[in-house]
Amino acid sequence: MAPIQLLLSSVLVFGAAAVLSLMFRKSSRTARYVSGILGMIASAVGGLAAIEVFVFGPVALELAGIPAFGNFVLLVDDFSGLMVAMIAVLAFATSLYSISYAEEYDNRGAGQLGFFNNLFIAAMLLVVSAANAFYFLIFWESMTLASYFLVIFEQEKKESVRAGYLYILIAHIGTALIMLAFFVLYKNTGTFEFSSFREAGLPPATKNLVFLLAFLGFGAKAGIVPLHIWLPRAHPAAPSHASALLSGVMIKTAVYGIVRLGVDLLGAPVSWWGFVVLLFGILSAVLGIAYALDERDLKRLLAYSSVENIGIILMGVGIGMVGMAARLPVLAVVGFLAALYHMINHAVFKGLLFMGAGAVIHRTHTHNMNEMGGLARLMPWTSLIFLVGAMSISAIPPLNGFVSEWFLYQSLFVGSTADLEVLRVFGPLAVMLLALVGAMVAMCFVKAYGTTFTGPPRSQKARQATEVPGSMLAGMGILALGAIFLGLGAPIVTPFLGRIAAGLGGVPEEILAKGIQVFPMAGSQAVLSTPLILVLLAALLSVPLLIVWFLGGFAAGHRTESDPWACGYGYSPQMGVSASNFAQPMLLAYQPLYRLRTLMQIPLDGIAAFSQNVNTRLPQAEPLVERWVSRPILSTVQYLGRRIQSLHMGDVRMYCLYIFVALAVLLIAIFR
Amino acid sequence: MTTGSLILIGILQALLVALVAPLFSGFARVLRAKMHSRHGPPILQNYYDLFKLMRRQEILPAQGTAIFRLAPFLTIVAAQLAAMIIPILVTQSPFGLVGDMILVVYLLMLIRFFISLSGLTSGSTFGGMGARRELLMSALTEPLMLLVLFVMALLAGSTNLGVISNGIATGRVPYYATVWLGMISFAFVAFVEAGRLPFDVSEAEQELQEGAMTEYSGRGLALMKWGAYMKQLTVVSLFLAVFIPFGSMSTLSIPAAVLALAVFLLKAAALYLIVAILENAMARVRFIKAPSVTWIALGVGLLSYAFYLVRI
Repeated sequence: MAPIQLLLSSVLVFGAAAVLSLMFRKSSRTARYVSGILGMIASAVGGLAAIEVFVFGPVALELAGIPAFGNFVLLVDDFSGLMVAMIAVLAFATSLYSISYAEEYDNRGAGQLGFFNNLFIAAMLLVVSAANAFYFLIFWESMTLASYFLVIFEQEKKESVRAGYLYILIAHIGTALIMLAFFVLYKNTGTFEFSSFREAGLPPATKNLVFLLAFLGFGAKAGIVPLHIWLPRAHPAAPSHASALLSGVMIKTAVYGIVRLGVDLLGAPVSWWGFVVLLFGILSAVLGIAYALDERDLKRLLAYSSVENIGIILMGVGIGMVGMAARLPVLAVVGFLAALYHMINHAVFKGLLFMGAGAVIHRTHTHNMNEMGGLARLMPWTSLIFLVGAMSISAIPPLNGFVSEWFLYQSLFVGSTADLEVLRVFGPLAVMLLALVGAMVAMCFVKAYGTTFTGPPRSQKARQATEVPGSMLAGMGILALGAIFLGLGAPIVTPFLGRIAAGLGGVPEEILAKGIQVFPMAGSQAVLSTPLILVLLAALLSVPLLIVWFLGGFAAGHRTESDPWACGYGYSPQMGVSASNFAQPMLLAYQPLYRLRTLMQIPLDGIAAFSQNVNTRLPQAEPLVERWVSRPILSTVQYLGRRIQSLHMGDVRMYCLYIFVALAVLLIAIFR
Repeated sequence: MTTGSLILIGILQALLVALVAPLFSGFARVLRAKMHSRHGPPILQNYYDLFKLMRRQEILPAQGTAIFRLAPFLTIVAAQLAAMIIPILVTQSPFGLVGDMILVVYLLMLIRFFISLSGLTSGSTFGGMGARRELLMSALTEPLMLLVLFVMALLAGSTNLGVISNGIATGRVPYYATVWLGMISFAFVAFVEAGRLPFDVSEAEQELQEGAMTEYSGRGLALMKWGAYMKQLTVVSLFLAVFIPFGSMSTLSIPAAVLALAVFLLKAAALYLIVAILENAMARVRFIKAPSVTWIALGVGLLSYAFYLVRI
C-alpha cells in the first residue's frame, strides 16, 4: 500500500480500537486486550507508513474539504515521517504495556481509558501530517481534549482534577496564540494551506509577529519555562502509559509545530529568532532539572525532567535556526541534527522511565520515593530496564543521551567558531550551563534510581512488591533496546537524521559518519565512536580482572552480612538517604534558584523561650520562577476569565441587547 | 605517528596510570605527614594496603545489589579509557578516534554516577551522604571544567584533546592571559579532585568520595580505592596535557618515550607537591562551604573566557 493509505489505515485502526474499547467497557479485560492489541497493530501500520516515506520520499493526499477553509491536505515528508515513526514506536510499546497495566483500572473505566488513549494517538498522528492550518488546529484541539481526559482520568483525586484544569487553561492560552498566528497568515495569503504560507513573500514585521505568536503558543504546550507549570502536575496525574505518551511524544508535537512554522514555512530569516529559541531552551533546561532535583514524587520528577529535555531540544533547534539565518549550512545541520536526535532519544528513554515508574507504582501503590527502596531485588527486570533509562538520560557514554548531547556540544563549538558575535559570546556560557545541567541530571537520576530500587525498603508495600507481568516488561524492554540501539548505532542513525536535518535547513547534506565514527562536519578532528567505546570498555574490564587474579583476589571469596555499619547502633532503614534530603546540599549551593520558604514556625515555650535563637521550623524549597512568573500569568488569565464571565448574566433581555449592539456595529462597519 | 603506534602508546598510558596512581597518592600522604611533623607511612604504603585488602574476604551488605559489586570494576574501566584518550606521553590523542574532551568529561561523570549509586545501594547513612556530596562536587566542578576546556578548544580549533595539547606544545596557541587564567581555574578542579581538601580531613577521608565506599571491604574496597587513585591521576594528567604538555613526544622513538615518561612523572609529582602544600596551608572548612571556594574558581574561569572574548 502507499504510505498515505497506510497512515490513514493506522489512524482508522486506532479509531476502531477506541470505539471497540468503549463498547466493551462492561468487561474491562476484553476492553484492555482489544485496545492494546489493536493499538499495536495500528502502530505497526503507522511505522510501516513512515518507513515507506523514508524509502520512497514524501507523499501527499488532497481531498475536498469545507469550502471556506480549503482542501483537506495531508502531507508526510521526512520530518513528519520521523514524527510518525516516533509516535508509532511509543504507541506500540505503551499499547503492549497497557494490556497489563490498565488492570489497575478494571471496573474503574479501563474501557474509557482505552478510548481516550487511542483517540489521543490518532490525533497526534494527524497533527504531524496535516498540511492545512484549519485541520491542523482541529486535530491539535482533539489531541488536547483527548489528553485532558487522560489527565483527569483518576477523577476521585482532587489534584488530578486541578492538574487537568491547569492543563486545559494553559493549553488554550497556547491554542489561542497559535490560532492568531495562523489567522495573521490567512489574512496575508488568503488560504489556510501550508504550501501557500511557504511561498508567500511576507513582510518581515508580519513574519516576526507570526513567529513570536507561534513560538509562545507551541511553547505553552511544549512546557518551556515559564509556561511549564501545568506539565509537572498534569503528566504525572495520567495513567502511566498515558504519561509516557504525554511526556514522550505529545510535547514533541509542539516542538514539531515550532520547527514546521518557524523553519519550514517561514524559513527562519533572521538570526534573533534562533537566539530567542536558544535562550528559552537554556532557561528551561537549567530550571527544569533544578526543580526536578527536589521532587520526591517519582512521576513528577520525571515530568520536571521533561521540561529540561525540551530545553535541550530547543537549544539545538535555536542553533540550527541561527545557522539557517546566517547561511552557515554546517551549523544548521549540526544544530537540527542535535535537536532531532535528542527528540527521538528523549521519546525513548522518557517513555521507558515513565513506564518503569508505572510498574513500580502498580506494585507499591505510591508515588512517593520515600516509601520505596530495595525494589531491585524484588523486581529485577524492571530495575534493570529503569537503570538503562536512567543511564541514557544522564548521558552516560555510550548510550543514546550522550550521543545527542555530544552533537549539541559540537554545534555550540561550531557556532562559537563561526563569525557570529552573539554565538561567540554566549556559546561558551551555553556550554557551561549544559555541563551544569548534565551534572544535575546525573544527580537527579542517581536519586531516582537509587532511592527507588536500591537501599533498604522503606515501607511495608515496598517489602511485598513483586515483578510485573511479561507484557509490561516487554513494552519497556522494546524501548530499552531502542535506547541502546540509538546509542551504539550512532554511525547508522546519524546520517539518516542528518539528511532530515539538512532537508529542514534547506542546505546540502553533510557527511556525518564514516565507518563506525560520527563527526559534526567532514574533516573534523573531533570524532565519536560509540561502538568503539563499548568495545574498549569491555576489553578494559581485563585490567581489574587481571589485577584481582594476579594478586590472588579470586580465592578470597565473599559473604553477605545483614546490616550496614551504623556506628554501633542498631540499623534501621530510615538511616539511609531518602528522596527528601538527597538533594539538600544542592539546594543550599544553588540557593538563588530556589527559595527556602519556612512553612511552619512554632515559638517554643518554657525554658527554651529564653533563647531567642531556638525555633522549630519546617523549611521547604519552592521553585522561584513558578512563584514570580508563572503564577501571575495564570492568575491574570483567570481574572480576565472571571471578568468576561460577568457578561453572562443569564438575563435574556441582556442577550438581546448584545445581539442588537453586535448587529449595529456590523451594519456601521459595512455601510461606513 | 601511525595509528598502530598510537594504539600502542594508548595502551601504555593506561598501564602507566594503573600502575603509578597508588604511588602518587602515597607520595601525597608522605608529604602531608611531613608537613604535620609526623613520621608518616612509607611511600609504597598504598600498594601494601591494596595487596592486603585484595586477599581479604569481601563482606557485602544485605541491601546491596549487583551495582554494588560492579561499581569498582566500572570505575577502573572508565578511568582507564579516559587515560587512553588523554595525551599523556605524546602530543596527540592516542585514542582520539574514539572520542574527544567531551567524552573524557562524561567518562568522569560515569565514574561519579556509579560510585554514588553504589553508596546509595549499600543503604548505609555514610554511603548516602558520600553519594550526594560526590554529586554536588560534580555539579560544582564539571561546568567549570567544560568551560575552561571549551575555551581552550576554541583557541586550538578543535575539541580533540590532541589538537589542544599540540597547539600549546608547539606554541601555536601562545600562553596569554586566557590560557593562564584557564590554567588557574582548571587547577582548582584538579586540586579538588586530587586533594579534596579543604573539605576533607586528611587520613580520614570518609567525608567525601570515600564516604560512598563505607560499606566496601576486601577486594571491592581495594578495586574501588585503586579506581579512585586512577581517576585522580587521570584528572591531573588531563590538566598537564592541556596546559603543560612540554616534554611529551611529537615523534615516536624509544629515547623520546623514556624522556616523556620521566617528564610526565616529574610534572605530576610537582603538581602533587603543590597540592599538598596548598591543602596543608588552608584551613579545613565545612563541606557546605564548598560552593564559595568553587565559585572563586568559576569566577577565574569566567575571567579567562572574558579575556578570550576580547582576544587578549
